[in-house]
Amino acid sequence: MINIDTFAYNSKLKDRDPMEKLLFTFVTLSVCLWANSIIISLTVLLIMTWSTIYGGGIPRTVYFKLLLIPMVFLIFGVLAVAIEITPQPYEFLGSISFFNFYLGVSKAGLITATQLFFRALGAVSCLYYLSLNTPMIDVMSALRKLRCPKLLVEMMSLIYRFIFIFITTAETMIIAQSSRLGYSRFMSGYRSLSLLISSIFIRSYQQADKIYTSLESRGYDGELNVLEKSKGYISTGYLKVLGINVFLVILTFII
Amino acid sequence: MSEHILQTKNLSYSYPDGTTALDDINVNIKRGQTTAILGGNGAGKTTLFLNLNGVLKPSSGNVIYGGKSIEYSKKGLTALRQAVGLVFQDPDHQLFSASVYQDVSFGPMNLRLSEEIVRKRVEESLIKTGIYDLKDKPTHCLSFGQKKRVAIAGVLAMEPEVLVLDEPTAGLDPKGVGEIMRLLKEMQQDLGFSIIIATHDVDIVPLYCDYAYVLDEGKVAMEGSPNEVFSKAELLRNLHLRLPRIAHLMEILRKNDDFEIGNFASTISQARKEIKRWRENLRLVNK
Ligand SMILES: Nc1ncnc2c1ncn2[C@@H]1O[C@H](COP(=O)(O)OP(=O)(O)OP(=O)(O)O)[C@@H](O)[C@H]1O
Ligand SMILES: [Mg+2]
Repeated sequence: MINIDTFAYNSKLKDRDPMEKLLFTFVTLSVCLWANSIIISLTVLLIMTWSTIYGGGIPRTVYFKLLLIPMVFLIFGVLAVAIEITPQPYEFLGSISFFNFYLGVSKAGLITATQLFFRALGAVSCLYYLSLNTPMIDVMSALRKLRCPKLLVEMMSLIYRFIFIFITTAETMIIAQSSRLGYSRFMSGYRSLSLLISSIFIRSYQQADKIYTSLESRGYDGELNVLEKSKGYISTGYLKVLGINVFLVILTFII
Repeated sequence: MSEHILQTKNLSYSYPDGTTALDDINVNIKRGQTTAILGGNGAGKTTLFLNLNGVLKPSSGNVIYGGKSIEYSKKGLTALRQAVGLVFQDPDHQLFSASVYQDVSFGPMNLRLSEEIVRKRVEESLIKTGIYDLKDKPTHCLSFGQKKRVAIAGVLAMEPEVLVLDEPTAGLDPKGVGEIMRLLKEMQQDLGFSIIIATHDVDIVPLYCDYAYVLDEGKVAMEGSPNEVFSKAELLRNLHLRLPRIAHLMEILRKNDDFEIGNFASTISQARKEIKRWRENLRLVNK
């Protein structure tokens, strides 16, 4: 998560209009899910991978490693879909018998599974495109522009900020504990961990209190009113989003 | 217009758990000056500052701004918080947004200014504090000193009359200390605000401050110009503080090494002047 965050701030697409990226992600994602065709899914996967690696300049190895993470879940999920258990061997391409049952793979099941696999992978690539190329701050400012409930966006932004404060706190505390041999044996490690968790809990409470005080001193009145940096975005990107997705939809109907 | 922009009269404050953090404090802050609040850990500096900004309400006594007791109504507090800007000890307690730009814009936005004016102020304070290049970086990727500057920029953008800084130099490297202090003094000359700083760093006091208060256990233990305060070395040591290095050196020279240095000196330039004068005297005597 932290890594994805740093990549987003270094992406070459960082300064593109976040709204455009959000739209590109979710429209393409919807088309990919709706089309339910291996070719479309592969095309989406290709487009998104290309945009992320060449457009955003995210290192290839990092990208493929990240893509491997959902792969594990995907493979298990897809296996569950592909493998059927029936009392009779029914149109199976191959099967093993098992007491009175047959464990096998049918042609239809195999097609569904493959479709599902690529559809999910295409969808994941869309989300990676967004998260690897868009700093969280920009995502939130786009959500704000989309009239997302204010409270929700404020919560998101506070949580996002706090995550980093707590990770740093937790890191320092873990280092401090290990330097006093807190994790050298199983039992002491167990105890150190419980201490760590409880003190992080107390810290977060205090932190929230302190932030509230400081917000108050700057005139907080229940709403975090802030201004976004104004950037002159060019809107040709929207045409690209439209173009690509019209192409995908037409492709779906042709094949 | 009174000479004092901010005052406290018999100010006392106890925390809900019963700790008496401030006890009968009388402080007078002169317009356009830099005032230091010195004191060891737990002396009550932060608590005093929270009272000055209206975040805490005194248990007894008053805070007086521009000759008038402050009102704890919503309107009164908004006015006070615009006039008295508070920069917190730990920037992580102040920066609530992951975006530098957003964080700095928060204060002026609360003053209900137009977007144009807010943008202008944000850009100006980012430039003045020397962090304009950081405006696209997320807060969590900044160094401590950079976060401190963002915190200062966030308060400066509100254009306060009094800038109150809690330990502005703690955690900074020596170069950073000089930079921040010079920055503050330059801005003070440009904008004419008054500065109050809490610190244990006694070395910066004679260099940058016009007046000093020493707090101890919630009471004002000493006050005066920096040289007046630092000429009472024994008293100061009892209050968990020490002399500025130069003042200490001059004290040793005078007491142990028979240098007949008349005037008190606590900065390098003052000491240089005094030592030169001593040498001239010596030459005259030898002739
Ligand atoms: N929220 C709180 N509840 C109860 N007591 C508190 C609270 N905050 C501070 N105190 C107490 O009030 C006294 C003054 O604290 P304060 O934070 O003002 O000191 P300080 O001069 O800022 O110290 P430091 O130099 O360490 O920052 C201390 O004795 C402290 O323990
Ligand atoms: Mg303090």
